[in-house]
Amino acid sequence: MIDEFSADPLSEVDVLFFDVGDTVYGTDASQVLRIDRSHPEDFVQPGLGSLRRGGRVLVFDTPEGEAHLKVDAIRGVRPIPLFQLRRMPPAAAAASYAIGVFLEADEAHPILLIDLVETLKAQGRH
Amino acid sequence: MPSENVLEVIQAGLLTPLPRSPSFLLGVTGHRGQVIPVMDILRFLGKGEARVGSRTRLFLGTSGSYTVGVVADAVLGLRRLPVADILPPPVGGDAAVEHLLGICEGASPQDALALLNFPKLLQSARQRAVVR
Repeated sequence: MIDEFSADPLSEVDVLFFDVGDTVYGTDASQVLRIDRSHPEDFVQPGLGSLRRGGRVLVFDTPEGEAHLKVDAIRGVRPIPLFQLRRMPPAAAAASYAIGVFLEADEAHPILLIDLVETLKAQGRH
Repeated sequence: MPSENVLEVIQAGLLTPLPRSPSFLLGVTGHRGQVIPVMDILRFLGKGEARVGSRTRLFLGTSGSYTVGVVADAVLGLRRLPVADILPPPVGGDAAVEHLLGICEGASPQDALALLNFPKLLQSARQRAVVR
């Protein structure tokens, strides 16, 4: 069953993993235009946690143009089978940009999946 | 808590914190391919906070279509209680009282049991999370 999934590229999605502080997040790699060095005016989403240095940015497209989200480190891009992705449970009441989790087989520690455009929209809320 | 609201008891694994979630939601954990939000009842009821360590247990509480992991210092076991022994919750208590089904008195005050109304607790938690 698992082999059938992994053999079909349509059943996978490329996820880019990155660090903010001690926390690992993932995002749809197709949202990311490029990875760049950060500048002081780049955007920080405090809800993701405290940055250590914030030396990198994920550059992504929005209707208003390019946006730059500061992160600490980029771990890389991995193709992830769709069956390892889960929607955020409704009872979790998480921020709008926390759209789901990546749950690796035999791994109890889920990795949050972040919608980059939503991180920008969420800025200024609360 | 009535056993009809408990699915199982598991060891607390690593929790993934959730951005901008209420403080009583400690994060999510994975269990049997499901993502389970984990709740600290003490924080929710304003009675302190739970310590999550290697020996901490979660009981998976369920109500309707929702399942939540609840932090417990220890799980003491299952007891059969006659309904006639369950007294109504005290009137005019703090916020915790409104989430009780009732009180079951024991031989001594230390043996008394507070029975949680888990569906109501979960509903209140969801409402509190939404109105933030």
